[in-house]
Amino acid sequence: MSQTVTPYLEMSQAIMEAGGEALKKCYQCGTCSGTCPWTPITHFNIRKLVRYGQLGLDGIEDFMWGCSTCRFCVERCPRGVEIIDIVTAIRNVYSGGGMLPQSLRAFVGSLSARGNPWSGDPDRRNDWAKEKYPVYAPGMDYLFWTCCTVCYDPRNTRLAKAAAEILNLAGASWGMPSLDVNCCGESLRKVGDAELFERLKAKNLDYFKAQGVSKIITVSPHCLASFDEDYGADFEVVHLSELMAKWIQEGKLVPKKDFGGLTVTYHDPCYLGRHSKVYDAPRDILKALPGVTFVEMERNSEESMCCGGGGGGLWTEKAKGERLSDLRIEEAMGTGATVLATACPYCITMFEDSKRTLNVDEQIQIRDVTELVLESLEISIDEPVGDACAV
Amino acid sequence: MSFEPKILGIACNWCTYTGADLAGTTRLQYPQNIRVVRVMCSSRINPSFIFRAFQLGADGVLIGGCHPGDCHYNTGNLYARRRLAVTKKILEFSGMEPGRFRVEWISASEGNRFAEVVREFTEQIRDLGPQTKFKISQ
Amino acid sequence: MSRIGVFVCHCGLNIAKTVRVSELAEFAATLPDVVVAKDYKFMCSTPGQEMIANDIKEHRLDRVIVTACSPLMHEQTFRKVLAASGLNQYLLSIVNIREQVSWVTHDIDEGTAKAKALLNGAVRRARLLAPLTSRVIDVNSDVLVVGGGIAGIQAALELANTGKKVYLVEKNSTIGGHMAQFDKTFPTLDCSACILTPKMDSVLQHKNIQLMTSCEVSEVKGFVGNFDITIRQKARYVDHTKCNACLACTEKCPGKGVSEWDEGLVKRKAIYIPFPQAVPQKPVIDRDACTFFKKGKCRLCEKVCEQKAIDFEQQDTFTTVKVGAVIVATGYDLMDTRSLIQYGYGKYPGVYNALEVERLFNSAGPTGGKVTLRDGKEPQAIAILHCIGSRDKNNYEHCSRVCCMYSLKFAHLFKEKTSADVYQFYIDMRAAGKGYEEFYNRIIEEDVKFIRGKGARVAQSADEPDRLVVEAEDTITGKFIKLPVDMVVLSPAIIPRGDAKDVARLFNLSTDKYGFFMERHPKLAPLSTMSEGVFIAGVCQSPKDIPDTVAQAYGAAAEALTIVVKDKLELEATTAMVNPASCCACQNCVRVCPYGAPFFNETKGVSEINEALCKGCGLCASVCPPSAIIARHFTNDQVLAEMEGLLEF
Repeated sequence: MSQTVTPYLEMSQAIMEAGGEALKKCYQCGTCSGTCPWTPITHFNIRKLVRYGQLGLDGIEDFMWGCSTCRFCVERCPRGVEIIDIVTAIRNVYSGGGMLPQSLRAFVGSLSARGNPWSGDPDRRNDWAKEKYPVYAPGMDYLFWTCCTVCYDPRNTRLAKAAAEILNLAGASWGMPSLDVNCCGESLRKVGDAELFERLKAKNLDYFKAQGVSKIITVSPHCLASFDEDYGADFEVVHLSELMAKWIQEGKLVPKKDFGGLTVTYHDPCYLGRHSKVYDAPRDILKALPGVTFVEMERNSEESMCCGGGGGGLWTEKAKGERLSDLRIEEAMGTGATVLATACPYCITMFEDSKRTLNVDEQIQIRDVTELVLESLEISIDEPVGDACAV
Repeated sequence: MSFEPKILGIACNWCTYTGADLAGTTRLQYPQNIRVVRVMCSSRINPSFIFRAFQLGADGVLIGGCHPGDCHYNTGNLYARRRLAVTKKILEFSGMEPGRFRVEWISASEGNRFAEVVREFTEQIRDLGPQTKFKISQ
Repeated sequence: MSRIGVFVCHCGLNIAKTVRVSELAEFAATLPDVVVAKDYKFMCSTPGQEMIANDIKEHRLDRVIVTACSPLMHEQTFRKVLAASGLNQYLLSIVNIREQVSWVTHDIDEGTAKAKALLNGAVRRARLLAPLTSRVIDVNSDVLVVGGGIAGIQAALELANTGKKVYLVEKNSTIGGHMAQFDKTFPTLDCSACILTPKMDSVLQHKNIQLMTSCEVSEVKGFVGNFDITIRQKARYVDHTKCNACLACTEKCPGKGVSEWDEGLVKRKAIYIPFPQAVPQKPVIDRDACTFFKKGKCRLCEKVCEQKAIDFEQQDTFTTVKVGAVIVATGYDLMDTRSLIQYGYGKYPGVYNALEVERLFNSAGPTGGKVTLRDGKEPQAIAILHCIGSRDKNNYEHCSRVCCMYSLKFAHLFKEKTSADVYQFYIDMRAAGKGYEEFYNRIIEEDVKFIRGKGARVAQSADEPDRLVVEAEDTITGKFIKLPVDMVVLSPAIIPRGDAKDVARLFNLSTDKYGFFMERHPKLAPLSTMSEGVFIAGVCQSPKDIPDTVAQAYGAAAEALTIVVKDKLELEATTAMVNPASCCACQNCVRVCPYGAPFFNETKGVSEINEALCKGCGLCASVCPPSAIIARHFTNDQVLAEMEGLLEF
């Protein structure tokens, strides 16, 4: 890269027009980069990305994909800059120029062709349910929104089933979407493909409207945040953990199984915590499980570390030593916990991967809070895992 | 020609009028449909002023005073608050669209807020269209 | 029939850029009763004023309308022109086409149209204006100063030196304020106590100053020239008229309280003077720390007091003083940074705030001026974090103005008193002030390390558990820094006193969005407030350094003097009056008036208004069912006529 540059304000203008208006506010104090979990371990530097954007400079192609949109910087920014909007806008402007990295091309391609990021057959979206669970019909209280990841990813179909069982046990009136929906598009929007995102969103909204959906339950905080922040429609969205906490408190769900001193720690998914401000519900649940010793990691709640799976990170390959999920597992094991609980299918995927590559299968289990609740109710999902996998 | 609403503002000298001045000093832009009458205190505002304004053809009336508890005359705006609440009810009872009358507490340091309220209110009145309910044709 | 003159100001291009001023003057000429209409570049200039004066004579004008800036700006200027031309000053109307027209639009058509409507309203109103006679009142020549920090001390001394009587009210048991807590002052590094204590002593000695420590203003009545101020003397449990300041009591006292003076770093006795140079040098008892008050026995202080000055029965007392003007100089607090969890204040003992560090440097402080950590060890590495909670939209958006400079001072003192490495984590270095840039240069040469990047996090070191780690990005190299240190100094936002809201309410002050007191005009009336006769000085207005604070104190003293130097004062004539013929004797006016101005005359069977008490808000006029009360200068007819004019176009 040449040392001499000329600011290219047309580029900066394009970024602002693509939603990165906040570029103007930044005074480069470095709070974002000092806060960002990636700064210490990769060459990604969020402050620099914003600076390059301000001046419209080239040379960010190789690191602009580093951001996992964890929102830590946004919360701390003294100028109130919506940094994620800038990242999204920059990616939008650049991916429009064909700069999408290889790993993300498959992801975008699958969303474009099949409406989900996992190259799953759209007709088999509900195969995990084995026709055991109801499809939403007008008049039901809740639409249980099944994230693509829990429909198609073999590890996460367990989560879908656990959620469905719990909804039944709590006596909720609910149904899952028919095949007329597609991915919520949250990660895709963060990757910068605004156009395709709008297409996916429109299809979902059509379905919600046609079915008269007014309340949605999600298991993925990404769908939750997207419906809340990006859809702009007037339905109520709630994360299953919030409902479970309420049901346990009301006595609708009564955890029975004694976990016998199992030490559990909890990882706040960025999109449930910082994006949606749900910190207490999952903790209340874990503390209500008989025989569970709940411990906190040093970085928790508002200060929680990111797993690296947001903002397209789930579909991007990272070198060893540059994975936040590895660090997070190490931090979890440092507390003495043998279960790392979380409440997000992306986090689960990231941690399951890290657990394998770190070779700590024996030391720690990765569980969704929903799965632990189901276990405490002494129900097991007895089908072999992976059966419903349509990948 | 598009509809340009006439909006009457009545502002207290100490808070909202000064806030409006601050909006000017800091060069904030807002629509020019509002014309402000200055009174010393929002408590000076007799409900008849508001009815008269609508008779005279105002499409909207915006009242501004100090934040409750911060009145320059200690308790004046508390009386104003109650009186204007009743005025609003009477207006609604007599068939006036509720959106045409608004009371806002804007302090002397809130130039931003003044500009924002005027922008919002003007838009709202624009959407409501011309006021004909009370207007006396000349 | 009246004869109205309309004078349209261009204000250079300020107005003329977005209002067609000559068209506006031509329009004015077509309005009823307008006999002359002119526009001119600067109406407030001498030629502009002369033009108005000449036209008043030449055209025998009986009403004047100036179409220019806000009435809050120049109403008084033009009233004087009328008065000098023999016209009653209340026959003036100002049309605000600058702040409320030309400055808030870019569109000259819109601007001109709105200006016309406003002017039309003013003409309608002007025709109904009536001449009014100003009230003249006697002025009390004493002054109240609230707050005994450097601002209050300086203002009190200045006024007292002119021969005026000053009541200096301070809520703590000593005067001195934050400045008395400092060791050195930037950029000269002169000793704070050396320059402050002589002034504190002068206050005590001054025959014209009545020093009222452990006191708070509890009620304010009256108005400019004639305030009645009620002051609460908090119980000290020591009779200061008897106490001879031997301080034997403080030696014997077994009670322990938290030393506010040392920012809670150490304990003090329950009967105490805050620091050795305190003024007055007489102790007070901290009720919450006193063994007797807590357990019902002890009274050791009483036993050792030969003067019999200890009085456990003492109660709060109230006195009322009459003053003509007030200076409010209540100072500031530091933001409580415990809410910023990322910096670990209150969690890690090695994290200090700026005032605590001031005390560590001070030879009268908890460590006798030695820089040691809470465990007594000397720090080997120290990080100073700028802009903690200030310049931060999540907390306080304002710049606290003095932190850059005191952080440099800290760096110097750390270098002088320890062998530690000193790091500054900053966003921008702001060294605007006399000798400040030079001071910055000096500190750079003292080998202080400057890291351009806001401190992002303070954590416990993983390798050395008794040390801390500061995390930040050095934005110059783009590298992430993890710096092991022993001590972290936070420079927190400077914010208004916790009770600033109450003070604002007492004196009817406006506050800005942070709670600092608002000045009447940001440029031209920085010490006056919206309350006539109440002035502000020092950090209670906004963060500032000692020189600026002292300068403001002088200024506020001069402002107060302009009032109390006079025997008589002219007050606004815009009061309310009752037309007895229409009064229905309902007494609504008597019930609602915040000042008790209306009263019911039993003999006549009607309400009347004591004009000396009336402040002209007009509340009574709008609650008067038969409209018997007339709010002068804002009569129903005048307001309605203006509205009619405004809505005509």
